[in-house]
Amino acid sequence: MLASVDSCLLAGLDARHVEVQADSSHGEVAFVLVGLAATSVKEARERVRSAIRNSGLEFPRRRLTVNLAPAELRKEGSGLDLPIAVAIALAVIRKAPPPRSAFLGELALDGTVCHADGVLVAARWLHRRGYERVFVPASDAAEAALVKGLEVIPCTNLAGVVAHIVGTRPIKPQPPTEPVMERDDEVGEHDLAEVHGQEEARRALEVAAAGGHHLLLSGPPGAGKTMLARCLPGILPPLELEEALEVAQVRSLLGDLPATRPLDWTRPFRAPHHGVSMAGLIGGGAGLAQPGEISRAHHGVLFLDELAEFQASVLQALRQPLESGCVSITRSGGSVAYPARFTLVAATNPCPCGWAGDGRRACRCTPAMVDAYRRRLSGPLLDRIDLKVGVRRVPLEALSSEPKGESSAPVRERVLAARRRQLDRQGCLNAQLKPARLRQCAGLDMTSRQTLERWAEQRGLTARGFHRAWRVARTSADLDSCERIAERHILEALGYRLNDVAA
Amino acid sequence: MSPPDTGAALPELHARGRWPPPQGPRVAIVGSRRPSPYGEAVAEQLGTDLARARVIVVSGLALGIDAAAHRGALNGGGVTIAVMGTGVDVVYPAAHSRLAEEILSAGGALVSQFPDGTVPRRQNFPARNWTMAALSEIVVVVEAGEGSGALITADAALHLHKDVMAVPGSVFSALSVGTHGLLRDGAGLVQNARDVLAVLGQGGEVLDDPLPAPDRLGFALRPERDGIVAHLSDVLALSAADIARKLQLPVSEVLGRLTALELDGAVRRHEAGYIRALRRGKERA
Repeated sequence: MLASVDSCLLAGLDARHVEVQADSSHGEVAFVLVGLAATSVKEARERVRSAIRNSGLEFPRRRLTVNLAPAELRKEGSGLDLPIAVAIALAVIRKAPPPRSAFLGELALDGTVCHADGVLVAARWLHRRGYERVFVPASDAAEAALVKGLEVIPCTNLAGVVAHIVGTRPIKPQPPTEPVMERDDEVGEHDLAEVHGQEEARRALEVAAAGGHHLLLSGPPGAGKTMLARCLPGILPPLELEEALEVAQVRSLLGDLPATRPLDWTRPFRAPHHGVSMAGLIGGGAGLAQPGEISRAHHGVLFLDELAEFQASVLQALRQPLESGCVSITRSGGSVAYPARFTLVAATNPCPCGWAGDGRRACRCTPAMVDAYRRRLSGPLLDRIDLKVGVRRVPLEALSSEPKGESSAPVRERVLAARRRQLDRQGCLNAQLKPARLRQCAGLDMTSRQTLERWAEQRGLTARGFHRAWRVARTSADLDSCERIAERHILEALGYRLNDVAA
Repeated sequence: MSPPDTGAALPELHARGRWPPPQGPRVAIVGSRRPSPYGEAVAEQLGTDLARARVIVVSGLALGIDAAAHRGALNGGGVTIAVMGTGVDVVYPAAHSRLAEEILSAGGALVSQFPDGTVPRRQNFPARNWTMAALSEIVVVVEAGEGSGALITADAALHLHKDVMAVPGSVFSALSVGTHGLLRDGAGLVQNARDVLAVLGQGGEVLDDPLPAPDRLGFALRPERDGIVAHLSDVLALSAADIARKLQLPVSEVLGRLTALELDGAVRRHEAGYIRALRRGKERA
């Protein structure tokens, strides 16, 4: 009387196969769970026993052994409740589970199947591994049904699942969740038309959107830095299907995917407070690391307001993901990698009081204070930000006379066209071009090269800074619909290097 | 602060370098520690021109106008005296150590009424300002906001029956409030070093008109860039957006042209925008 059921355990965006074997045999009455189960899984014993009894099923009054294979893998989480219960029930009635099927879900004491985190991740992984059918909590069925070609059985309670397997009361499979493309021209709630003046920052925002460049906005309080940042998702193209799935996967892991609308086409916008911890921003936690804000901002925008107020160590940790577009975190439970390819928009005041450089109000900071404040923005981090622009406060009385800006829709058109050029030419955005490909895809003529080199020499640019300016010039040319980079593109790119001057 | 007895105006001084200084008129140039580029350029130019006329430039070794005045005097090949609010062995700010060395090696002096080892203390600087006035025949104020220490020096000069002069600034600048107040109260107006020399009773040496007009700067202006430079001010920083709006050009293009001008040293970038470079000085630290 042996039954075995397939399931899986998540490790970040990856998963490991777990086979749940239940054996009921003669001997003293006992319920033994083996296979390196962590506390949360050991507790499954009690939940499963009650759930089976309360579902009107028979719990064997014999020696019951449940093994979780492979034995060397440490099992964590409550998603194994359902497969354990199903394995036991099948062992009792001597039935085999349907072929190429996997089970996932937590049980309540009354037999209800409850939500499990990361169902989308598990479903995609199982599908890749050749499984054809998954049994998941009904509340998570919509997200699992995003996976094309996978049959999803929504489970509301244990009795229903068993009845389905026995064939007495089949459950209707969840219809595939069709990713509905919304209107392409949707800009979102923040529109650039609401930004008065600030032409320089607007242009920088457009360049950032077009080339995937990171952006630093520096200016006094109330200059509109936050407003500008919030407009960025609206001028970016909607997510591609694969991108949307990647975004949904991270949200699924955190149990943050709305059941009604599992797939969202708008780009994420994350704005963590400056008190955020290392684990909160980068990812972390006990056992296996959970994704942090940078992974939630994957394919979207990460907005860090008051950059100088963030803990120095947290900002340092941003450097690696900024370069590589992913982050790998090791905790006691193992090492996991999360994607983190976001556009960073950082905002900072020019000095502690915020008024340095403002024509109307005098700055009250001593030079030493300003110096200390700026030192908090570490050089290596700033070096990785391609565009740095000053944002000026528009006085209230002048606000109405400032020219109303172009609205987001036409800006977005230009951004889309520039991004298409890049993808057609090199298959990635300019910000992601490696130096070798840069030379290939963004050749410089003599004058442009000389101008760039002259600046690099005058301002002591690092090699990284040199390449960043070069990439921005490539984007400037793409916005200009030029295949060749001209000197004016280089000059514009150098115009966004505010802190070369301050240095 | 109550004026010390004018008879005993000069306290006992500790000195490094040549002390007492060589014979010659002494003029203090003082002003804001955070001047505009305009103020800095004026102070440096005045320092140079006064030094060329064999005037000893006195200042306080502080950031901003003080340092510009010392540096100008050194560039003019002159002797300059730094009156310090710390012990003469404690250079404050530390970033001016090299400047202090240059002052010494050019035959100038660092002097202080405070014993060696005195660290910077807020309450010591007003007394230093009095000493500066006492050591000089004229106090020239270049850019002083409201409540600036330079105004204490001017005040001291009045109590000590010394002449006070001031350089006018832009009416848009907060740094002009103090200097314009002095001018309103009867301080002498300084347009160039000759005004100072006239008060000293020296008309002698012919100087260049000290502050060169922008059209004589000799930048290799390309015609297409001229338009932008004409729109820039040497006091108020303008953003690329401001200029783009005036010229009816896309901001990306203006930004590029400004960068080109910056590369040539014709404009400088500041916190809030661009200003016209007054002179192609050496890059300052």
